Amino acid sequence: MTHLAFIIPAYGVALVIPAAFALDAWRRLSRARARLAALEGGRRR
Amino acid sequence: MKRKHRRLAILLAAGLGLGSAAALTLFAFRDNLVFFVTPSDLASRGRAGETLRLGGLVAAGSVEHTTIAGDPAVRFRVTDGRTAVNVSYVGVLPDLFREGQGVVTLGTLAPDGSFTASEVLAKHDETYMPKEVVEALKKSGHWQPGSGPPPPAATWNTLSAAKSGG
Amino acid sequence: MLRAVDVFSPIAPPRGARGLHRFANPGRFLRLAGALLPWVSAIGLILTVIGLYGGLFVAPADWQQGDAVRIMYVHVPAAWLASAGYMALALASAASLVWRHPLADLAAAEIAPVGAGFTAICLITGSLWGKPMWGAFWVWDARLTSVLVLFFLYLGHIALTRAFDTPERGYRAGAILALVGVINLPIIKFSVDWWNTLHQPASISLTGAPKMYIGMLWPLLFMALGASLIFAALVLARLSAAVMERRVRALLAARAEGA
Repeated sequence: MTHLAFIIPAYGVALVIPAAFALDAWRRLSRARARLAALEGGRRR
Repeated sequence: MKRKHRRLAILLAAGLGLGSAAALTLFAFRDNLVFFVTPSDLASRGRAGETLRLGGLVAAGSVEHTTIAGDPAVRFRVTDGRTAVNVSYVGVLPDLFREGQGVVTLGTLAPDGSFTASEVLAKHDETYMPKEVVEALKKSGHWQPGSGPPPPAATWNTLSAAKSGG
Repeated sequence: MLRAVDVFSPIAPPRGARGLHRFANPGRFLRLAGALLPWVSAIGLILTVIGLYGGLFVAPADWQQGDAVRIMYVHVPAAWLASAGYMALALASAASLVWRHPLADLAAAEIAPVGAGFTAICLITGSLWGKPMWGAFWVWDARLTSVLVLFFLYLGHIALTRAFDTPERGYRAGAILALVGVINLPIIKFSVDWWNTLHQPASISLTGAPKMYIGMLWPLLFMALGASLIFAALVLARLSAAVMERRVRALLAARAEGA
Protein backbone atom coordinates (compact mmCIF):
# COMPACT_ATOMS: atom_id res chain seq x y z
CA MET A 1 0.00 0.00 0.00
CA THR A 2 1.31 3.44 -0.89
CA HIS A 3 1.12 6.54 1.37
CA LEU A 4 0.89 4.44 4.55
CA ALA A 5 2.53 7.27 6.50
CA PHE A 6 -0.62 9.32 5.83
CA ILE A 7 -3.28 6.59 5.79
CA ILE A 8 -2.42 5.17 9.23
CA PRO A 9 -2.61 8.49 11.13
CA ALA A 10 -5.83 9.40 9.26
CA TYR A 11 -7.56 6.17 10.24
CA GLY A 12 -6.07 6.42 13.72
CA VAL A 13 -7.63 9.85 14.27
CA ALA A 14 -10.93 8.74 12.74
CA LEU A 15 -11.16 5.79 15.14
CA VAL A 16 -9.70 7.30 18.32
CA ILE A 17 -11.94 10.41 18.45
CA PRO A 18 -15.30 8.54 18.26
CA ALA A 19 -13.94 5.85 20.62
CA ALA A 20 -13.07 8.54 23.16
CA PHE A 21 -16.58 9.99 22.85
CA ALA A 22 -18.12 6.52 23.27
CA LEU A 23 -16.05 5.81 26.38
CA ASP A 24 -16.98 9.17 27.90
CA ALA A 25 -20.69 8.66 27.12
CA TRP A 26 -20.63 5.18 28.65
CA ARG A 27 -18.96 6.48 31.84
CA ARG A 28 -21.41 9.35 32.14
CA LEU A 29 -24.39 7.04 31.64
CA SER A 30 -23.35 4.49 34.22
CA ARG A 31 -22.43 7.21 36.75
CA ALA A 32 -25.72 9.07 36.26
CA ARG A 33 -27.68 5.82 36.46
CA ALA A 34 -25.95 4.82 39.70
CA ARG A 35 -26.48 8.20 41.34
CA LEU A 36 -30.11 8.30 40.30
CA ALA A 37 -30.67 4.78 41.61
CA ALA A 38 -29.08 5.75 44.93
CA LEU A 39 -31.30 8.83 45.21
CA GLU A 40 -34.55 7.28 44.07
CA GLY A 41 -34.02 3.67 45.03
CA GLY A 42 -35.17 4.01 48.63
CA ARG A 43 -38.54 5.44 47.75
CA ARG A 44 -39.52 4.19 44.36
CA ARG A 45 -38.28 0.66 44.20
CA MET B 1 -49.88 29.60 20.93
CA LYS B 2 -49.67 33.27 19.95
CA ARG B 3 -46.33 33.90 21.62
CA LYS B 4 -44.95 30.81 19.97
CA HIS B 5 -45.94 32.10 16.54
CA ARG B 6 -44.50 35.53 17.25
CA ARG B 7 -41.17 34.01 18.27
CA LEU B 8 -41.13 31.93 15.08
CA ALA B 9 -41.88 35.02 12.98
CA ILE B 10 -39.08 37.00 14.67
CA LEU B 11 -36.68 34.12 14.08
CA LEU B 12 -37.60 33.85 10.39
CA ALA B 13 -37.30 37.62 9.89
CA ALA B 14 -33.91 37.66 11.58
CA GLY B 15 -32.81 34.73 9.42
CA LEU B 16 -33.92 36.49 6.24
CA GLY B 17 -32.05 39.66 7.22
CA LEU B 18 -28.92 37.77 8.15
CA GLY B 19 -29.09 35.69 4.97
CA SER B 20 -29.33 38.72 2.70
CA ALA B 21 -26.56 40.52 4.57
CA ALA B 22 -24.31 37.48 4.18
CA ALA B 23 -25.18 37.09 0.49
CA LEU B 24 -24.42 40.76 -0.21
CA THR B 25 -21.13 40.57 1.68
CA LEU B 26 -20.03 37.43 -0.16
CA PHE B 27 -21.03 39.00 -3.48
CA ALA B 28 -19.11 42.20 -2.72
CA PHE B 29 -15.96 40.27 -1.76
CA ARG B 30 -16.24 37.63 -4.48
CA ASP B 31 -12.90 38.65 -6.05
CA ASN B 32 -11.11 38.08 -2.75
CA LEU B 33 -12.76 34.76 -2.05
CA VAL B 34 -11.20 32.95 -4.99
CA PHE B 35 -8.11 30.91 -4.24
CA PHE B 36 -6.61 31.47 -7.69
CA VAL B 37 -7.19 33.39 -10.92
CA THR B 38 -7.52 31.80 -14.35
CA PRO B 39 -5.30 32.57 -17.36
CA SER B 40 -8.22 34.59 -18.84
CA ASP B 41 -8.46 36.70 -15.66
CA LEU B 42 -4.72 37.25 -15.86
CA ALA B 43 -4.90 38.32 -19.50
CA SER B 44 -7.67 40.84 -18.83
CA ARG B 45 -6.57 42.40 -15.55
CA GLY B 46 -3.17 41.06 -14.51
CA ARG B 47 -0.46 43.61 -13.70
CA ALA B 48 3.25 42.86 -14.13
CA GLY B 49 5.09 42.33 -10.85
CA GLU B 50 1.91 41.25 -9.07
CA THR B 51 2.17 38.18 -6.83
CA LEU B 52 -0.84 35.90 -7.16
CA ARG B 53 -2.04 32.34 -7.61
CA LEU B 54 -2.67 31.12 -11.13
CA GLY B 55 -4.77 28.02 -11.67
CA GLY B 56 -5.81 25.89 -14.62
CA LEU B 57 -4.94 22.71 -16.49
CA VAL B 58 -1.42 21.83 -17.57
CA ALA B 59 -1.63 22.04 -21.36
CA ALA B 60 -1.04 18.80 -23.26
CA GLY B 61 2.48 18.50 -24.66
CA SER B 62 3.71 21.64 -22.92
CA VAL B 63 5.80 20.18 -20.08
CA GLU B 64 9.53 20.64 -20.55
CA HIS B 65 11.94 19.40 -17.85
CA THR B 66 15.28 21.21 -17.62
CA THR B 67 17.82 22.15 -15.00
CA ILE B 68 18.64 25.67 -13.90
CA ALA B 69 21.97 25.92 -12.03
CA GLY B 70 21.81 22.21 -11.24
CA ASP B 71 18.30 22.31 -9.77
CA PRO B 72 15.42 20.51 -11.44
CA ALA B 73 13.29 23.04 -13.29
CA VAL B 74 10.20 22.77 -15.39
CA ARG B 75 8.42 24.88 -17.97
CA PHE B 76 4.76 24.32 -18.84
CA ARG B 77 1.66 26.15 -20.00
CA VAL B 78 -1.40 26.61 -17.79
CA THR B 79 -4.64 26.86 -19.75
CA ASP B 80 -8.34 27.38 -19.02
CA GLY B 81 -9.35 26.39 -22.55
CA ARG B 82 -9.34 29.96 -23.87
CA THR B 83 -6.03 31.50 -22.83
CA ALA B 84 -2.74 29.92 -21.82
CA VAL B 85 0.14 31.30 -19.73
CA ASN B 86 3.76 30.13 -19.83
CA VAL B 87 4.94 29.13 -16.37
CA SER B 88 8.46 28.38 -15.19
CA TYR B 89 9.24 26.74 -11.87
CA VAL B 90 12.37 25.58 -10.05
CA GLY B 91 11.74 22.93 -7.42
CA VAL B 92 10.05 19.63 -6.68
CA LEU B 93 6.66 19.00 -8.29
CA PRO B 94 3.76 17.27 -6.46
CA ASP B 95 3.15 13.59 -7.34
CA LEU B 96 -0.08 14.33 -9.12
CA PHE B 97 1.51 16.80 -11.56
CA ARG B 98 0.98 15.70 -15.16
CA GLU B 99 -0.29 17.03 -18.48
CA GLY B 100 -4.06 17.51 -18.38
CA GLN B 101 -4.00 17.83 -14.56
CA GLY B 102 -5.25 20.86 -12.66
CA VAL B 103 -2.57 22.92 -10.93
CA VAL B 104 -2.46 26.04 -8.79
CA THR B 105 0.81 27.97 -8.85
CA LEU B 106 1.89 30.84 -6.64
CA GLY B 107 4.17 33.31 -8.37
CA THR B 108 4.67 36.66 -10.07
CA LEU B 109 3.63 37.91 -13.46
CA ALA B 110 6.53 39.08 -15.64
CA PRO B 111 6.16 42.07 -18.03
CA ASP B 112 6.23 39.70 -21.04
CA GLY B 113 3.12 37.90 -19.75
CA SER B 114 4.92 34.80 -18.50
CA PHE B 115 4.61 33.57 -14.95
CA THR B 116 7.43 32.65 -12.57
CA ALA B 117 6.15 30.22 -9.95
CA SER B 118 7.62 29.71 -6.49
CA GLU B 119 5.14 27.00 -5.49
CA VAL B 120 3.14 24.45 -7.49
CA LEU B 121 0.16 22.60 -5.97
CA ALA B 122 -1.72 19.84 -7.78
CA LYS B 123 -5.51 20.25 -7.91
CA HIS B 124 -7.28 16.92 -7.91
CA ASP B 125 -10.62 16.78 -9.69
CA GLU B 126 -13.78 15.11 -8.41
CA THR B 127 -13.34 11.88 -10.39
CA TYR B 128 -12.16 8.71 -8.68
CA MET B 129 -11.29 5.78 -10.91
CA PRO B 130 -9.04 2.72 -10.68
CA LYS B 131 -6.16 2.14 -13.06
CA GLU B 132 -8.06 -0.57 -14.97
CA VAL B 133 -10.87 1.81 -15.88
CA VAL B 134 -8.41 4.44 -17.12
CA GLU B 135 -6.63 1.78 -19.22
CA ALA B 136 -9.96 0.66 -20.66
CA LEU B 137 -10.93 4.24 -21.55
CA LYS B 138 -7.53 4.81 -23.16
CA LYS B 139 -7.73 1.60 -25.20
CA SER B 140 -11.24 2.27 -26.40
CA GLY B 141 -10.20 5.79 -27.35
CA HIS B 142 -12.76 7.47 -25.09
CA TRP B 143 -10.19 9.44 -23.10
CA GLN B 144 -6.53 10.37 -23.19
CA PRO B 145 -5.71 11.72 -19.69
CA GLY B 146 -3.21 14.25 -21.04
CA SER B 147 -5.83 15.91 -23.20
CA GLY B 148 -8.24 17.10 -20.53
CA PRO B 149 -11.06 16.17 -18.17
CA PRO B 150 -12.51 12.63 -18.24
CA PRO B 151 -15.71 11.73 -20.12
CA PRO B 152 -19.15 11.82 -18.40
CA ALA B 153 -19.21 9.65 -15.27
CA ALA B 154 -22.12 7.48 -16.40
CA THR B 155 -19.95 6.08 -19.22
CA TRP B 156 -17.34 4.62 -16.85
CA ASN B 157 -18.42 4.46 -13.21
CA THR B 158 -19.80 0.93 -13.49
CA LEU B 159 -17.35 -0.27 -16.16
CA SER B 160 -16.26 -3.74 -15.13
CA ALA B 161 -12.54 -4.46 -15.11
CA ALA B 162 -13.19 -7.65 -17.10
CA LYS B 163 -14.30 -5.56 -20.05
CA SER B 164 -11.08 -3.59 -20.00
CA GLY B 165 -10.24 -4.90 -23.47
CA GLY B 166 -13.03 -2.99 -25.12
CA MET C 1 -25.31 1.75 28.63
CA LEU C 2 -28.15 -0.28 27.26
CA ARG C 3 -30.45 -0.10 30.29
CA ALA C 4 -30.78 3.65 30.45
CA VAL C 5 -34.40 3.43 31.48
CA ASP C 6 -34.54 0.80 34.19
CA VAL C 7 -33.75 3.11 37.04
CA PHE C 8 -35.91 5.90 35.78
CA SER C 9 -39.26 5.68 37.36
CA PRO C 10 -42.11 6.17 34.93
CA ILE C 11 -43.50 9.67 34.99
CA ALA C 12 -46.90 10.29 33.50
CA PRO C 13 -46.78 12.75 30.60
CA PRO C 14 -48.51 16.05 31.32
CA ARG C 15 -52.20 16.05 30.57
CA GLY C 16 -52.99 17.20 27.07
CA ALA C 17 -49.41 16.83 25.86
CA ARG C 18 -49.59 16.96 22.09
CA GLY C 19 -47.32 17.19 19.07
CA LEU C 20 -43.61 17.40 19.68
CA HIS C 21 -44.08 17.79 23.40
CA ARG C 22 -45.14 14.18 23.61
CA PHE C 23 -41.43 13.36 23.25
CA ALA C 24 -40.36 16.14 25.58
CA ASN C 25 -41.32 14.13 28.60
CA PRO C 26 -37.96 13.08 30.09
CA GLY C 27 -39.17 9.68 31.23
CA ARG C 28 -40.59 8.90 27.83
CA PHE C 29 -37.40 10.11 26.14
CA LEU C 30 -35.25 7.90 28.36
CA ARG C 31 -37.37 4.85 27.59
CA LEU C 32 -37.23 5.54 23.86
CA ALA C 33 -33.49 6.29 23.91
CA GLY C 34 -32.80 3.21 25.99
CA ALA C 35 -34.68 1.03 23.53
CA LEU C 36 -33.01 2.59 20.46
CA LEU C 37 -29.44 2.87 21.69
CA PRO C 38 -28.39 -0.81 21.45
CA TRP C 39 -29.83 -1.13 17.93
CA VAL C 40 -28.43 2.14 16.63
CA SER C 41 -24.96 1.38 18.08
CA ALA C 42 -24.88 -2.21 16.84
CA ILE C 43 -26.07 -1.48 13.29
CA GLY C 44 -23.76 1.54 13.12
CA LEU C 45 -20.77 -0.56 14.18
CA ILE C 46 -21.57 -3.39 11.76
CA LEU C 47 -21.95 -1.02 8.80
CA THR C 48 -18.73 0.79 9.76
CA VAL C 49 -16.76 -2.45 10.04
CA ILE C 50 -18.00 -3.54 6.58
CA GLY C 51 -17.17 -0.08 5.22
CA LEU C 52 -13.69 -0.09 6.79
CA TYR C 53 -12.90 -3.52 5.39
CA GLY C 54 -14.23 -2.55 1.96
CA GLY C 55 -12.42 0.77 1.95
CA LEU C 56 -9.07 -0.53 3.15
CA PHE C 57 -8.88 -3.94 1.48
CA VAL C 58 -11.51 -4.41 -1.23
CA ALA C 59 -11.81 -1.07 -3.03
CA PRO C 60 -9.23 -0.49 -5.77
CA ALA C 61 -6.55 2.18 -5.50
CA ASP C 62 -7.06 5.35 -7.52
CA TRP C 63 -5.09 5.56 -10.76
CA GLN C 64 -3.46 8.84 -9.69
CA GLN C 65 -3.77 8.97 -5.91
CA GLY C 66 -2.70 5.39 -5.27
CA ASP C 67 -3.82 4.16 -1.87
CA ALA C 68 -4.06 7.70 -0.46
CA VAL C 69 -7.59 7.67 -1.89
CA ARG C 70 -8.53 5.42 1.05
CA ILE C 71 -8.37 8.46 3.36
CA MET C 72 -11.57 9.56 1.60
CA TYR C 73 -13.51 6.77 3.35
CA VAL C 74 -13.06 8.48 6.71
CA HIS C 75 -12.78 12.07 5.51
CA VAL C 76 -16.00 12.34 3.49
CA PRO C 77 -18.39 10.80 6.09
CA ALA C 78 -16.81 13.03 8.76
CA ALA C 79 -17.33 16.06 6.51
CA TRP C 80 -20.97 15.17 5.84
CA LEU C 81 -21.60 14.63 9.54
CA ALA C 82 -19.85 17.86 10.48
CA SER C 83 -22.49 19.73 8.45
CA ALA C 84 -25.42 17.43 9.28
CA GLY C 85 -24.55 17.62 12.98
CA TYR C 86 -24.59 21.39 12.78
CA MET C 87 -28.01 21.23 11.12
CA ALA C 88 -29.21 19.10 14.05
CA LEU C 89 -27.70 21.63 16.48
CA ALA C 90 -29.55 24.44 14.69
CA LEU C 91 -32.86 22.54 14.73
CA ALA C 92 -32.51 21.90 18.46
CA SER C 93 -31.71 25.58 18.95
CA ALA C 94 -34.79 26.66 16.98
CA ALA C 95 -36.94 24.24 19.00
CA SER C 96 -35.50 25.77 22.15
CA LEU C 97 -36.04 29.41 21.14
CA VAL C 98 -39.46 29.07 19.49
CA TRP C 99 -41.20 26.18 21.21
CA ARG C 100 -39.25 26.19 24.50
CA HIS C 101 -38.97 22.45 24.05
CA PRO C 102 -37.58 21.15 27.38
CA LEU C 103 -35.19 18.62 25.85
CA ALA C 104 -33.95 20.94 23.10
CA ASP C 105 -31.46 22.83 25.29
CA LEU C 106 -29.88 19.64 26.55
CA ALA C 107 -29.85 18.20 23.02
CA ALA C 108 -28.01 21.25 21.64
CA ALA C 109 -25.45 21.11 24.44
CA GLU C 110 -24.81 17.41 23.79
CA ILE C 111 -24.72 17.59 19.96
CA ALA C 112 -22.10 20.35 19.81
CA PRO C 113 -19.11 18.43 21.23
CA VAL C 114 -19.80 15.38 19.02
CA GLY C 115 -20.12 17.67 15.97
CA ALA C 116 -16.84 19.36 16.90
CA GLY C 117 -15.19 15.94 17.15
CA PHE C 118 -16.33 14.89 13.68
CA THR C 119 -15.30 18.27 12.25
CA ALA C 120 -11.85 17.73 13.76
CA ILE C 121 -11.68 14.29 12.06
CA CYS C 122 -12.66 15.93 8.77
CA LEU C 123 -9.98 18.64 9.08
CA ILE C 124 -7.18 16.32 10.22
CA THR C 125 -7.81 13.55 7.67
CA GLY C 126 -8.23 16.13 4.92
CA SER C 127 -4.90 17.63 5.85
CA LEU C 128 -3.27 14.19 5.80
CA TRP C 129 -4.64 13.69 2.27
CA GLY C 130 -3.69 17.19 1.12
CA LYS C 131 0.01 16.87 1.90
CA PRO C 132 0.78 13.94 -0.43
CA MET C 133 -1.82 14.86 -3.09
CA TRP C 134 -1.85 18.66 -3.34
CA GLY C 135 1.58 19.22 -1.86
CA ALA C 136 0.29 21.18 1.17
CA PHE C 137 -1.26 20.28 4.53
CA TRP C 138 -3.36 23.41 4.49
CA VAL C 139 -4.41 26.19 2.11
CA TRP C 140 -6.74 29.10 2.78
CA ASP C 141 -9.26 28.37 0.05
CA ALA C 142 -12.99 28.94 0.57
CA ARG C 143 -13.83 25.29 1.36
CA LEU C 144 -11.10 24.70 3.93
CA THR C 145 -11.63 28.09 5.55
CA SER C 146 -15.41 27.67 5.83
CA VAL C 147 -15.02 24.24 7.44
CA LEU C 148 -12.52 25.71 9.90
CA VAL C 149 -15.15 28.38 10.68
CA LEU C 150 -17.64 25.54 11.30
CA PHE C 151 -15.20 24.01 13.80
CA PHE C 152 -14.89 27.36 15.59
CA LEU C 153 -18.69 27.74 15.63
CA TYR C 154 -18.94 24.39 17.41
CA LEU C 155 -16.20 25.41 19.88
CA GLY C 156 -17.88 28.79 20.37
CA HIS C 157 -21.18 27.08 21.12
CA ILE C 158 -19.53 24.76 23.64
CA ALA C 159 -17.83 27.69 25.40
CA LEU C 160 -20.85 30.01 25.30
CA THR C 161 -23.38 27.54 26.74
CA ARG C 162 -21.05 27.02 29.69
CA ALA C 163 -20.12 30.67 30.20
CA PHE C 164 -23.13 31.77 32.27
CA ASP C 165 -23.98 31.24 35.92
CA THR C 166 -27.55 30.30 35.09
CA PRO C 167 -27.65 27.45 32.55
CA GLU C 168 -30.81 28.83 30.88
CA ARG C 169 -29.04 32.00 29.79
CA GLY C 170 -26.16 29.91 28.43
CA TYR C 171 -28.53 27.72 26.43
CA ARG C 172 -30.22 30.81 25.03
CA ALA C 173 -26.97 32.49 23.95
CA GLY C 174 -25.78 29.20 22.47
CA ALA C 175 -29.02 28.77 20.52
CA ILE C 176 -28.69 32.23 18.98
CA LEU C 177 -25.06 31.57 18.02
CA ALA C 178 -26.03 28.21 16.50
CA LEU C 179 -28.77 29.78 14.38
CA VAL C 180 -26.55 32.64 13.17
CA GLY C 181 -23.94 30.05 12.18
CA VAL C 182 -26.39 28.23 9.89
CA ILE C 183 -25.41 30.74 7.21
CA ASN C 184 -22.08 28.92 7.03
CA LEU C 185 -23.65 25.62 5.88
CA PRO C 186 -24.60 26.71 2.32
CA ILE C 187 -21.24 28.48 2.11
CA ILE C 188 -19.45 25.20 2.89
CA LYS C 189 -21.60 23.25 0.44
CA PHE C 190 -21.36 25.65 -2.48
CA SER C 191 -17.89 27.14 -1.84
CA VAL C 192 -16.40 24.74 -4.38
CA ASP C 193 -18.92 25.82 -7.05
CA TRP C 194 -19.10 29.56 -6.37
CA TRP C 195 -15.39 30.32 -6.13
CA ASN C 196 -12.16 28.85 -7.43
CA THR C 197 -10.89 26.55 -4.70
CA LEU C 198 -8.07 24.02 -4.44
CA HIS C 199 -10.57 21.57 -2.96
CA GLN C 200 -12.35 19.50 -5.61
CA PRO C 201 -16.13 19.84 -6.16
CA ALA C 202 -18.51 17.15 -4.92
CA SER C 203 -18.21 13.74 -6.61
CA ILE C 204 -21.60 12.59 -5.41
CA SER C 205 -24.76 14.59 -6.05
CA LEU C 206 -28.45 13.89 -5.88
CA THR C 207 -28.92 14.76 -9.55
CA GLY C 208 -26.00 13.41 -11.59
CA ALA C 209 -24.14 10.11 -11.89
CA PRO C 210 -21.49 9.71 -9.17
CA LYS C 211 -18.07 10.64 -10.53
CA MET C 212 -16.62 7.72 -8.65
CA TYR C 213 -16.06 4.11 -9.69
CA ILE C 214 -18.74 1.87 -8.19
CA GLY C 215 -16.12 -0.33 -6.47
CA MET C 216 -14.98 2.77 -4.56
CA LEU C 217 -18.49 4.10 -3.98
CA TRP C 218 -20.06 1.29 -1.96
CA PRO C 219 -17.57 1.30 0.94
CA LEU C 220 -18.05 5.07 1.15
CA LEU C 221 -21.82 4.67 1.46
CA PHE C 222 -21.41 1.99 4.16
CA MET C 223 -19.02 4.27 6.05
CA ALA C 224 -21.35 7.24 5.71
CA LEU C 225 -24.37 5.34 7.00
CA GLY C 226 -22.39 3.63 9.77
CA ALA C 227 -20.80 6.88 10.92
CA SER C 228 -24.21 8.60 10.92
CA LEU C 229 -25.64 5.92 13.21
CA ILE C 230 -22.58 6.11 15.48
CA PHE C 231 -23.03 9.90 15.64
CA ALA C 232 -26.70 9.39 16.53
CA ALA C 233 -25.82 6.76 19.17
CA LEU C 234 -23.27 9.08 20.79
CA VAL C 235 -25.82 11.90 20.96
CA LEU C 236 -28.55 9.58 22.31
CA ALA C 237 -26.23 8.26 25.03
CA ARG C 238 -24.98 11.72 26.01
CA LEU C 239 -28.48 13.14 26.04
CA SER C 240 -29.79 10.28 28.20
CA ALA C 241 -26.94 10.92 30.64
CA ALA C 242 -27.70 14.64 30.63
CA VAL C 243 -31.40 14.04 31.37
CA MET C 244 -30.50 11.78 34.29
CA GLU C 245 -27.87 14.24 35.56
CA ARG C 246 -30.49 17.00 35.54
CA ARG C 247 -32.86 14.80 37.51
CA VAL C 248 -30.12 14.04 40.03
CA ARG C 249 -29.49 17.77 40.50
CA ALA C 250 -33.20 18.42 40.93
CA LEU C 251 -33.54 15.64 43.52
CA LEU C 252 -30.49 16.86 45.44
CA ALA C 253 -31.82 20.41 45.41
CA ALA C 254 -35.22 19.24 46.64
CA ARG C 255 -33.56 17.19 49.36
CA ALA C 256 -31.39 20.14 50.46
CA GLU C 257 -34.47 22.32 50.69
CA GLY C 258 -36.38 19.72 52.64
CA ALA C 259 -33.61 19.23 55.20
